[in-house]
Amino acid sequence: MTSPRALAWRRRGDALAAGWRQFARQRSGLFGLGLLVLIVLLAVFAPVLTDREGLNVIKATGGPLESPSWEFPLGTDRQGRSVLLLTLWGARMSLTVGFVAALLSIGIGTVIGILAAHYGKWVSAGLMRITDFFLVLPSLVLAIALSTVLNPGIGTVILAIGITSWPPSARLVRAQTLTIEARPYIERSRALGGGHLHVITKHVLPAVLPLVFVNTTLAVGSAIVAESTLSFLGLGDPNPMRPSWGSMLRSAWLDSAVIAGAWWYLLPPGIAIAIVVLAFTMCGRALESVLNPRLREG
Amino acid sequence: MALLELDDLTVRYGGRARAVEAVRGVSLTLDAGETLGLAGESGCGKSTLAMSVLRLLPASATIEGRILLDGEDVTTMKWGRLRAVRWTTASIVFQGAMHALNPVRRVREQIAEPIVLHADTPPSAAAVGKRVDALLAQVELPVAKGEAYPHELSGGQKQRVMIAMALACDPRLVIADEPTTALDVIVQAQVLSLMSRLVAEQDIGLVMISHDLAVLASTCRRLAVMYEGRLVEEGISTSVIADPRHAHTRSLAAAFPTVGDPVYRYAPATSNELGLPEPPEPVSAGVEPLLRAEDVRVTFTGRGRREVTHAVAGVDLDVWRGEIVALVGQSGSGKTTLARTILGLQHATGGRVLFDGEPVPASSKGLRAYRRQVQLVLQDPTSALNPRHSVYESVAEGLRIHRVGGDEHAHVAAALEAAELRPPEEFMPLLPHQLSGGQRQRVVIAGALALEPRLLVADEPVASLDASVRGEILALLLRLRAKLGLAALVITHDLGLAWNIADRVAVMYQGELVEVGPVDEVLSNPRHEYTKSLLAALPTTEATVGER
Repeated sequence: MTSPRALAWRRRGDALAAGWRQFARQRSGLFGLGLLVLIVLLAVFAPVLTDREGLNVIKATGGPLESPSWEFPLGTDRQGRSVLLLTLWGARMSLTVGFVAALLSIGIGTVIGILAAHYGKWVSAGLMRITDFFLVLPSLVLAIALSTVLNPGIGTVILAIGITSWPPSARLVRAQTLTIEARPYIERSRALGGGHLHVITKHVLPAVLPLVFVNTTLAVGSAIVAESTLSFLGLGDPNPMRPSWGSMLRSAWLDSAVIAGAWWYLLPPGIAIAIVVLAFTMCGRALESVLNPRLREG
Repeated sequence: MALLELDDLTVRYGGRARAVEAVRGVSLTLDAGETLGLAGESGCGKSTLAMSVLRLLPASATIEGRILLDGEDVTTMKWGRLRAVRWTTASIVFQGAMHALNPVRRVREQIAEPIVLHADTPPSAAAVGKRVDALLAQVELPVAKGEAYPHELSGGQKQRVMIAMALACDPRLVIADEPTTALDVIVQAQVLSLMSRLVAEQDIGLVMISHDLAVLASTCRRLAVMYEGRLVEEGISTSVIADPRHAHTRSLAAAFPTVGDPVYRYAPATSNELGLPEPPEPVSAGVEPLLRAEDVRVTFTGRGRREVTHAVAGVDLDVWRGEIVALVGQSGSGKTTLARTILGLQHATGGRVLFDGEPVPASSKGLRAYRRQVQLVLQDPTSALNPRHSVYESVAEGLRIHRVGGDEHAHVAAALEAAELRPPEEFMPLLPHQLSGGQRQRVVIAGALALEPRLLVADEPVASLDASVRGEILALLLRLRAKLGLAALVITHDLGLAWNIADRVAVMYQGELVEVGPVDEVLSNPRHEYTKSLLAALPTTEATVGER
């Protein structure tokens, strides 16, 4: 006789396998996932595959704005660095900022959403007014203001994106929590003597998590776009050894790549942003159809 | 020629791989002007049978056999013909009037809809208006109510609108699918008498579906009982109920007790081998009550602080150790609010609740300790269990909250054992959706029992369960009382339940207790007008209207 706990774990494993089968049935989701795995692997193994010294302006080997050749498949920038190398290393920066900023934003949103819905009344009124305040603030302006006040760098960019993009997820999580809290099993839990912490961690959070998970996947894409925007505007990390796709676009623009006809300088970072955001969106949509509680509990 | 003739009808759901037979080889005939009651538990196929008459089944259903409506086979009808037959030859009063009406349109427009749709030439607005007025008058609704939206009507009024809609095109057959399930006893009696009157006056054939034999017996001349898709018994209502031949009919008949009949006193229908405990000794008056409500008041303030609702308006109620008290009343009488107040889930605006002589604490820490003593059993066990938690986790939840020491596994097993889920190990890993309704309610009860409470507050514990399970759960409550000395406050709208298990009954009306006393006294010799009207409204198997 196996213990109930072991059985519960096996059941979770089965549920995961069933979810994966459902996910695998969606071709776009699978394609997006494959793309993401490839990009993440390339970004993670960039230091093994390539030499970081190629990013050093002083040690650049190519001439300024060379067109694609065997030596530089995507040409070079004004300083003579390989654009392929820059794009590869830019992926590290963009993905890091995207993931961390999305987690920060969803984290804030989830906590505020659950607290507002669970406690209701004054807590809800207070928290939702704060949410509304951040919702009506033009997020780009706030992010710019933040990055100018704080020291420029990766941390500031993450903070700026995280603080400005949480309100929609807070509203979403609040709505989901409200529907969960109306279920009679919450009342049963209270009648059993369960306190706020118990109700939130045992009943509300597990029910809200699938939604949060889907939301995170979708938020990473928009965080990467936000990072590129901030970097393009010159608010990102100024260190040339740590390029991001946004800062590549910025330098391409500053170096008048368009006038020079250096399309190889502009297109790679732009297309990379588009592909990564698309991959995250495809994954997120497929996940949504697997995890959406409305589709599953119906 | 018969109005409706079903000939070896079989309905299957689902694909080729795993088809479910909902109806299996049913043959029935109904003559014009005749009334037939279709009884059975949920899942027995009675609704499928009724919907198949107008082919209102989902696309996954396949029909075999013949359905002759006025001599014409419905199964082979072309779409256009079917559309014409729907509502003009046969119409349906749908289950749950609150969901079957369009919330954004006036009821007058909704009654007029079939009239306009089925007219050969578009009728004039005045003619339609006149017809709707006549229909409203027929169902005893004031004409002005036609201008109302569904949410402005009470449940009984909505059901009347549904009946008016069904009659709109002068059908020869009306199918009523559980027309009174969601209604109170008094409203149910009104709707039933209205339906019997209309059917008799207009010579309409009526097929009425219900799980309650008493409801069917009071309106229908003939009765057919379905079980697992088959017709197991058919005959004149009175004789079927008086002398049921099939075991399933017997259990259905026994599940709804006759109030006042001593046979049913402390004897809910159960086939459990554990049997029923002896009726308890009457509680001596000198002892301190376990629970005492003193002048409890709960007032809700609406928006703008103008609308004040007195949900509970000064209630005094005692529950002694080992006593089962039934709190009876219509929906909206405040009985659930009172129960929530006793549990400390709702703040009382006035008065106080004493448990074991101590006032119920208001602090969250005190409330937690109090809730080990008093437990709640909710109405609908399906939604009362977290669908993500296994039986084990649901039962252990209370133990974990209160950090009960010792072997958790043994505690859970004992609680499941006490709720008669045997063997406990087999039930522990199951999820709620793998259990039947009765088993789910036992899990909820086991979750409450795990904390060894002294008082159980049960809010309509059997209202959403099937007739055969109902008796089992009630018998369980009686056995728990006998074995553990558990006191229970059972909230119900069902006087039969009070007669089945309760020692004392408290009748609640508009937030006040109008009558409190021993069950035998109150239900045999009611003193208050409201109790009398509740008793008079009970559908009985004896007084059959259909004897014509």
